Amino acid sequence: MIFLFVLTLLQIKVPDIAEAPKGVPVAGAMLDRRTNEVASLLRCPVCQGLSVADSPSTMAQDMKHQVREFLARGYTQEQILAYFEKSYGQFVLLKPKFSGVSTLVWLLPIAALIFGAVVVLSKAKQLEEGPSPKAETAEEDPYLARVRELVEKP
Amino acid sequence: MNKAVLISGLVIFAALVGVLFLNLGHDPSAIDSPLIGKPAPNFALKAVGSGQMLDIASLRGKPAIINFWATWCGPCYEEHPVLVQNARVLGNDVQFVGVVFNDTEQKIQAFLNQRGSAYPTLLDEQGKTAVAYGVGGVPETFFLDRSGTIVAKYTGPLSTEELQANLAKAMK
Repeated sequence: MIFLFVLTLLQIKVPDIAEAPKGVPVAGAMLDRRTNEVASLLRCPVCQGLSVADSPSTMAQDMKHQVREFLARGYTQEQILAYFEKSYGQFVLLKPKFSGVSTLVWLLPIAALIFGAVVVLSKAKQLEEGPSPKAETAEEDPYLARVRELVEKP
Repeated sequence: MNKAVLISGLVIFAALVGVLFLNLGHDPSAIDSPLIGKPAPNFALKAVGSGQMLDIASLRGKPAIINFWATWCGPCYEEHPVLVQNARVLGNDVQFVGVVFNDTEQKIQAFLNQRGSAYPTLLDEQGKTAVAYGVGGVPETFFLDRSGTIVAKYTGPLSTEELQANLAKAMK
């Protein structure tokens, strides 16, 4: 806090969220818990698929420290995620947003599930109904007729 | 139904193969910066050696090159002479700045003493400036025009050709 006050006095600009905090400052155990929660939504930019909360890298630790600082100052999760997204783009968000092309990430698996369910149900219905009468008719199936002829041959 | 399943499967397969081919040769770590075309994020950092504070406002008026690096980064050793040489030639017209993060002042000073220096090197102690610029590794270089807008970002060690090609965008 003193550091920020000194910076304000000196009119020195540091990287920060441009708007005022929209939430309530958190502290103590709640701050630890919220820091981990928000950090687990951010991708560590120097790791392979690790969140900022899980990565031991210095970069992730710096980011986690910033998350903690923002939460302590009363910034909301949305404001914090938006701050990191501004610098890194949507890449930094481990949970893609439901907007633009990212919508496909959410919709395609659901569409694939529905498609798969339709295929399975229609196959199950076919099996339930049994083989079509067409296939059973020997005259219409030369292969079956030939098999029957061979089997029935004395 | 079988025909429909087959066609759908083929469409999905073709789409996946298409995406694969489109991305062949594309470095997945080289992500386009969302900061291009936007004002460079603010910073106020201490210069290694002199201890003077340097902020983003002091870079306006001239095209600027902000190079993020560290002494523990192998490719930065390769890139350093390119930056120093270009800064010596273009220093009057272009503002060069080095920003070092995840490092110590002692190591940076030793590096600069050994390998030369031609522009201010700033220490980003808490990595806040690197995060504000969306740095995902070092070296990464940002090219700013006279008004302080980021016009290009280069990931990896710069050669003179790459530096000048990107600088041309900032000089427009």
